[in-house]
Amino acid sequence: MANNNKSGSGFFGKLIHNQIFIPLAALLLLVLFNLVFDPSFFKITLGQNAAGNPVLSGYLVTILDYGSELAILAIGMTLVTAASGGQDISVGATIAICGSALLRVLCGRNSRPDELQAPIIVAFLVACIVGMLCGAFNGMLVSIFKIQPMVATLILFTAGRSIAAWINNNELPIVGDPTFAYFGSFFPGIPIPAPVFIAAFCLIIIFVVLKFTTLGLYTQAVGINPSSSRLNGLNPQFIKFVSFVILGLCVAVAALIKVSRLSTINYSVIAKDIEMDAILAVALGGNPLGGGKFNMWASIIGAYVIQFLTTTLYKFKVSSDALSAYKAVVVILLVVFSAPTVREWIGAKFKKITAKKGVA
Amino acid sequence: MMMDRPSVKIIYIMIIASLCCLMAACGGKDAGAVSDIKEKGGKERIVVGFSQLGAESDWRSANTESMKSVFSKENGYELIFDDAQQKQTNQITAIRSFIQQDVDYIVLAPVTETGWDTVLSEAKEAGIPVIIVDRQVDVSDESLFTCWVGSDFELEARKVCMWMSYFFNKKGIKSEDVHIVDIQGTIGSTAQIGRTKGFDDMANLYGWDVVAHEPGDFTKSKAKEAMFAILRNYDNVNVVFCENDNEALGVIEVLEASGKKCGSDITNGEIMVVSFDGVNKAAVSSLVAGKISCIGECNPLHGPRVESIIRKLARGQEPYKYQYVNEKIFAGTSAVPSIMLGGKEYKVTVFNEETLYEWPY
Amino acid sequence: MRNKIKNMSDTSLLLSITIVVFFLMYIGAMVFQGKGFLKPQTFFNILNANAALILMSCGLTIVMIIGSIDISVGGVAALVSMCCAVYLDYKGGNVFVSMLIALAIGVAYGVIQGYLIAYLDIQPFIVSLAGMFFARGMTTIVHTNPFNVENQSFVALKETRIIVPGMGSVNKLGKYVNAYVEIGVIVALLAVLVLFFVLRYTKFGRALYAVGGNKTSALMLGINVKKTKFMAHLLCGILAGIGGYVYFLHVGSGAASHASGAEMNAIASSIIGGTMLTGGVGNIIGTLFGVLSLATIQSIVSSAGMDQAWWTGITIAAMLCLFLVIQSVVIARKTKSLKKQ
Repeated sequence: MANNNKSGSGFFGKLIHNQIFIPLAALLLLVLFNLVFDPSFFKITLGQNAAGNPVLSGYLVTILDYGSELAILAIGMTLVTAASGGQDISVGATIAICGSALLRVLCGRNSRPDELQAPIIVAFLVACIVGMLCGAFNGMLVSIFKIQPMVATLILFTAGRSIAAWINNNELPIVGDPTFAYFGSFFPGIPIPAPVFIAAFCLIIIFVVLKFTTLGLYTQAVGINPSSSRLNGLNPQFIKFVSFVILGLCVAVAALIKVSRLSTINYSVIAKDIEMDAILAVALGGNPLGGGKFNMWASIIGAYVIQFLTTTLYKFKVSSDALSAYKAVVVILLVVFSAPTVREWIGAKFKKITAKKGVA
Repeated sequence: MMMDRPSVKIIYIMIIASLCCLMAACGGKDAGAVSDIKEKGGKERIVVGFSQLGAESDWRSANTESMKSVFSKENGYELIFDDAQQKQTNQITAIRSFIQQDVDYIVLAPVTETGWDTVLSEAKEAGIPVIIVDRQVDVSDESLFTCWVGSDFELEARKVCMWMSYFFNKKGIKSEDVHIVDIQGTIGSTAQIGRTKGFDDMANLYGWDVVAHEPGDFTKSKAKEAMFAILRNYDNVNVVFCENDNEALGVIEVLEASGKKCGSDITNGEIMVVSFDGVNKAAVSSLVAGKISCIGECNPLHGPRVESIIRKLARGQEPYKYQYVNEKIFAGTSAVPSIMLGGKEYKVTVFNEETLYEWPY
Repeated sequence: MRNKIKNMSDTSLLLSITIVVFFLMYIGAMVFQGKGFLKPQTFFNILNANAALILMSCGLTIVMIIGSIDISVGGVAALVSMCCAVYLDYKGGNVFVSMLIALAIGVAYGVIQGYLIAYLDIQPFIVSLAGMFFARGMTTIVHTNPFNVENQSFVALKETRIIVPGMGSVNKLGKYVNAYVEIGVIVALLAVLVLFFVLRYTKFGRALYAVGGNKTSALMLGINVKKTKFMAHLLCGILAGIGGYVYFLHVGSGAASHASGAEMNAIASSIIGGTMLTGGVGNIIGTLFGVLSLATIQSIVSSAGMDQAWWTGITIAAMLCLFLVIQSVVIARKTKSLKKQ
């Protein structure tokens, strides 16, 4: 009994205290909401696209499809948050840089080539390197110069879109080759959107990495207490640095999807405010934004919950500009209910009720 | 944490000293500026300040390029270019900076129509002629700007609608079977207002079923979002009226991704896309491929026109206040050879693989 | 002299670096660009265009001194502009009430965010992020399309110019034109002055630094940490409200995209002005110069007619980077020498 009291009480208490509870509860709420108001939300149909390939369509598919970038970013953002106790606000701008570099390699000097000037894989690798360099730059500022992550990444946040425009001389290159568009839509013959596969691939990799390496453990150790982890033989600076580089890689992958969806780029609009969504995903996952312990899966579910919310709101014809107001309300409710003070208060109330029942 | 005494003194001394420098520099400047102009006297360049509203579409890029190539050093001009990134505040700041720099002419491509009175009167006070290009300005006193050069957006829309009505007539499509959506441009811009108005008038006149108006901001990405939303909410749409080419390209992508076919054969389930500008190579290729049925040309090459105005002004002549650019209609099929509108005949320029070299851009 | 520099506190060292850089930059612009920069009005135009940013940055400096952050200020400014614009145009209201509306929005933001941050211990970043989202979304809900205000008394107020004596210049037509500032500039400079004294000479000001420096010792000194935090955020909200109104007064229109990126510019100005995000260090005068430096860079880039618009972003970022590195080096040396002692 004493044990039970400590960790909340009973099954419900345990559940409430489990980190993954918050995003799951939010997801459940959204699902119920849609079930009540319009069950057709869950309809999935198999159609054909212009090239005659089978494609799945429906709101759920849209969520999985458009949630991919966010889920991929959430991986990196979770690590950065856990290791450095801060967030990277430059991911949107870095996506612009990576995307611009990718298109530059694909299109070469001419911004409207009739055929690709380089294989897609080469362009993607270049984008990865660019992304990792950006991550390394942020990581360096954070780990060596000990600048707060949010401030350090403010630099790329300010410069990123300008750099992206500079890479392509402010032209808007357009890739005409249809193979490039596969990554943002469908691989021929497969009815599931390609971004879903890319996201799944990234998730598997991070799962394997967390399972078979000590990255997760070290990151948490550094995030909880850098000086004591140094005493234990870890190099906190290096681990922070690595977490930013990993985020850079995630950004490059997200950039590939983003750019491929449009086959072109708009420097000031591409991936706008995505950093806010990515941070939200981490927060929704119940991860402490001050660093330390993290739960990767909770973040990823968080990312899809945000996309679920966005799609739901779109469906109810909320205009894309007004969307953020509704999102804000949801976020505030979530953080208020997950705040330690509020949770304690609720827990105390709950305990009182159960105690009374026990007495009776 | 707080400042300690001795260092505070240093700072104050520094501030005061620097302020003195600044004043001195300001005071001694007038003479300097005069000599500056005299120095140039021998090979005087005409300084033109150009406040461009942004770089949102291909039309805009072509417009900027045209200005830059005309007002080059070789032609005896010095161009101060400012990209306002879609914000009126930036444009006002830029014009004020042009005034402070004593430029000879100001060229303004305004982002919105209202809110220019103050800054334009400042320019007038400073004796700098202002030439407005593309979108118009709505000011209380027309003498605040010298003249305006641009397209008649409403006429463009009427021409395209007229083409459609000729086409529907020829194919025997009844007007109540035309279910049309309008993907609008940036709300409040002259092009959007004109094209939407032209479209609404003509759709009313012919009794087409206007399903929806959705803003697409003249960009591909926003138009894609808008088209997605339309497809979700309506399933009978068979004509999409896009207010520029970038939007049309986005719309075509969305339509094809959701298994629809773009073309002019709307009785057989194809969806007709019409559009404006015609400066984008991808759009014209789509026209040739039949995915876009008709494009109302919107000529962006304002550089030479503005230059001829400046020449006129330099000679002391008065240019026309409003100068409309003559524009064509581009189509992919020869089903409609020419249209009549307002008592005037407009020939339709047909582009296919062979005639594409006639495309002027 | 060298000794004196060594004895300087963090605040004053960082502040003096900022001031020197600003003047070097401005004088450099005068020498190499000539033309516009030699006219005093160019400087006053910078002030006119950035009065709102000065107010917002002051608010941010205060919350950054207590080690917190607020990224909602730009959104609040947009919301204030839109609400006031709609009120003035559609409801035919008077200017005084519109000021009250602005203030009310600011206070509401300050109170709600302050309560969540100070008393519920929620991360300030997340709270103000949600605040920003809400403000931006609400702005479009209030009115979607940008429009200019035509209310006459408002336009009269907007056009009111305060002439700066003895600073005029001769224009192209050979006419002497007086230099002027807008009302917003006076408001902003007044705010800077008042806040400077509040931070330096009042109990509340000292409490801010104490809370930002070390929470536990602040508690031991008998400072109500939660209340101080709350008040700092309230002050920031009010300043954002006033800043929003000054912005509105400058642009005279309501639009959802107004003041976009203002929060980041405000943070950057505070940092360039020598405020540290770790808390405990900061100065209002520095913030003023931070804003001026930032605005001067923008002005130089635009008047140089570099058609590559991206240079603004890149130079500001480079400068930010430089200042951050200087800050971190200064702090590292400080802690080292402290350890030695």
